[in-house]
Amino acid sequence: MPKDKFFKVVENKIHPNEKLVSTHCCYCGMQCGMNLRVDTTTNKIIGVEPRYDFPVNLGKMCPKGVTAYQQVNHPDRIQRPLIRSDASLKGTAEGFREASWEEALDLIVSKFKELQHNYGKDTLSVYSGVSMTNEKCYLTGKFARVALQTRYIDYNGRFCMSSAAAGLNRSLGIDRGSTVPWTDIHQTDCLFLAGSNAAECHPTSMFRIWEVQNRGGYLIVADPRETPLARRADIHLDLRPGTDLALANGIVHLLIKNGHIDEDFIRNHTNGFEETKEVVATFTPEYVSEITGVSVEKIVRAADIFGRAPDAIVMFCRGVEQQSKGTDNVSAYTNMSLVTGKIGRPKSGVATLTGQGNGQGGREHGQKADQLPGYRKLDNPEHVREIACAWGIPAEEMPQKGVSAYEMFQLMKDKTIRSLYLLCSNPVVSAPNLNHVRESLKSLDFMVCCDFYLSESAEYADVVLPVTSWAEDDGTTTNLEGRIIRHRQAQEWFAESKPDWWIQIEIAKRMGRGQFFTHLKSPQDIFNEIRQVSKGGIADYYGVTYEKIDQNNGVFWPCREEGDEGQPHLFLDKKFYHPDGKAKICALPYRPPAEEPDEEYPLRLTTGRVVFHYLSGNQTRRIPFLKDMYPDPLLEVHPKTATRYGIEHDELVTLKTRRGEAQYRVKVIEAIREDTVFVPYHWGKAQSINLLTNPALDPYSKMPEFKACAAKIIKHKHGGVRHG
Amino acid sequence: MGKQVLYIEMDNCIGCRSCLAACTQCGGHDNRNRNYVLDVDPFISRQTIPLMCFHCVNPACARSCPAQAIQIADNGAVLSALVEKCIGCQNCTIACPYGIPKFDEEQNLMYKCDLCYDRTKEGIPPMCASVCPTNTLQWIEEAELEEKRAQIPLANRKWTASHDPDVLEGETNVKISLPGILQGKQKLF
Repeated sequence: MPKDKFFKVVENKIHPNEKLVSTHCCYCGMQCGMNLRVDTTTNKIIGVEPRYDFPVNLGKMCPKGVTAYQQVNHPDRIQRPLIRSDASLKGTAEGFREASWEEALDLIVSKFKELQHNYGKDTLSVYSGVSMTNEKCYLTGKFARVALQTRYIDYNGRFCMSSAAAGLNRSLGIDRGSTVPWTDIHQTDCLFLAGSNAAECHPTSMFRIWEVQNRGGYLIVADPRETPLARRADIHLDLRPGTDLALANGIVHLLIKNGHIDEDFIRNHTNGFEETKEVVATFTPEYVSEITGVSVEKIVRAADIFGRAPDAIVMFCRGVEQQSKGTDNVSAYTNMSLVTGKIGRPKSGVATLTGQGNGQGGREHGQKADQLPGYRKLDNPEHVREIACAWGIPAEEMPQKGVSAYEMFQLMKDKTIRSLYLLCSNPVVSAPNLNHVRESLKSLDFMVCCDFYLSESAEYADVVLPVTSWAEDDGTTTNLEGRIIRHRQAQEWFAESKPDWWIQIEIAKRMGRGQFFTHLKSPQDIFNEIRQVSKGGIADYYGVTYEKIDQNNGVFWPCREEGDEGQPHLFLDKKFYHPDGKAKICALPYRPPAEEPDEEYPLRLTTGRVVFHYLSGNQTRRIPFLKDMYPDPLLEVHPKTATRYGIEHDELVTLKTRRGEAQYRVKVIEAIREDTVFVPYHWGKAQSINLLTNPALDPYSKMPEFKACAAKIIKHKHGGVRHG
Repeated sequence: MGKQVLYIEMDNCIGCRSCLAACTQCGGHDNRNRNYVLDVDPFISRQTIPLMCFHCVNPACARSCPAQAIQIADNGAVLSALVEKCIGCQNCTIACPYGIPKFDEEQNLMYKCDLCYDRTKEGIPPMCASVCPTNTLQWIEEAELEEKRAQIPLANRKWTASHDPDVLEGETNVKISLPGILQGKQKLF
């Protein structure tokens, strides 16, 4: 790939008695390149240096990235396995004692065997995450299905990328987060970002995003808040939370009406245009304005600019995806690119901004309830045969499809599931409707949690296993572009912690299933197995090797052969991944959020991130700099709304929905709609906004509706303003 | 390579404070950050701006120092107070029109942005400009700076470097442009 205009050759500063290990950040899907500073006398990670030559971020880092290394030798790291026998202490950090690995693993396996003997194989469950390498994500799927032989496995990507995945699969026949490499972004003429606060969630995209405007291009942002990104947009479509589908349909309506569609492209490369035209016919600017609250003038101007732009990229993020119609929102925004033919060429296309570090790779290789490696499907007998054969098990032994992450909690409550093996996730902070989730975990007979800190979820476990942090293991992740990259081990395993793959292989051996696992002795062995089993699938990694990744600064999948260099741009041949090679323009009738404001709960609550924290905050809330910058969640309220409730800036109030309530200090700011309030979701216990959020699920992706529900503010009798 | 300067394009700032976090990582900074990010009008908008030492050509901090503890390096960087000379009088913190120098009560010592002199003397960008994800902080050659001057409409006096006494006091080595760089921008279509 040619160097882009921001690339500069810069030598790194290397201090005496130090070396640099070139790797990537552990946090979001940007997977920024970074160098870790390692003290060569102690062999410990002690700092960070920019990695100026990694083409995505060119040395740039957000505050989370700069301080990420401080997790590794943090005093809160769990040193040895922890066991707790007093189940009444679940939900607290009390009662754990340190144990040897032998004792912990033997206990886990004896409990698993006893429960499976009494209640059947499917009484066990695995709940995983995607802030870990492809090697670990892949092995976790195999571990659940081959070692534990349970159907119940799902992962926290259900709360992250599942709507993008379902929407892109439906529209384009393939779920690769971006159809263009990130180095195209600053070269396009119009960027349309919906439900993305890239400035706080993917900050290292920002130098490219601003460059579009510096070149005279346009930035259009759809968001209920005037975020640091929307602040500088040419057009800020300040829509009500949960109304994206109307907005997208309205823009497609205008693109058709204004003659900004590409009829040849539609005819030759798509299906579904006529039905869609019919559905969007009623979505006049006036009607869309009524639903979304965005002015007619802005809607018309946005559609006109997008329609006239020579090249345009449509990008979306959790704001549109974390809705009970998230999949439809994704397809509806993708329609904008399809009807105008602005896809399948450089500088034009669609992209979702992946939330978790390996949100892309982690959803391709079989952690999902219905999915097998290489993006194969469990309900396809041919796919099941291929993977069973690769794994060396009879096809009829392959467990059936399970249920989605949030649905697993109900099965725990009704005792269909009695045991949980939790790794790389903190659902008692990150899942919706937390009162239900916390009760479900308490009702388990036996729970294991693998983490490197004692997370809020680990407090519900009977056994906690200390795992290595990202900087202590090798492996690959697949970033938000679909670029497979290398993480490198920079330090030995901390204290007695072990990588997840080591633990799973040890449990498999003790479960009597070692023969399917013991040939895997390193992350690279596991990666080579991924290459083999993904071969022929949609997410084909066969042609990717560690060496090729090193040589090329990453490899874009699909990469089918050893000589194949991968595909930075998708669909350059205008062939989409549906069987007839055509993309699907989707006709999508509008439906409102599952819960609309009413007299009792008159406000719209939406949630999201702040730049200083990541996901459930289990990592970032422990980093002094990040904690100092944003110590507690704040409730963002428009000044007019604050006046209506008689509340002041910094006052402590209660926010309540039909599912729960929590107390927050008020942040008064004009940069939010009057009918909407916002709380970031990175905090646990009583501060979790997910005590309040709505678990209404998208029918296709099973994504909960984190982004829109009805709420009210309750003023405290004696006020709560801090003075002095 | 020509002379390189720190250039600040304030309009780009998103308030991420990555520059503050990175400042601690320089290696010569004792893990303490030496710069600031300000909320411009926090009840109204999310606009923020960084405030770093502008490395004045004739720095008030150094002029005010009775002990000659504040040295100016060959690349114009106004350095932290020399440990052996600083008497802890804090004149510099009062004299600086931008409030840049910080004071360590325990060590009785002033410390401030030194433009990552350990790096910049070798042509390596300062840490803040290396990591800044928005290109608010840029380490650029003077030729590139001239291009910026040509690109950004200046009739409204929004551009400033060191010749606009309304904005900065005297000539500075760090160049800045104030928010508003997109005003009057010629659009592509």
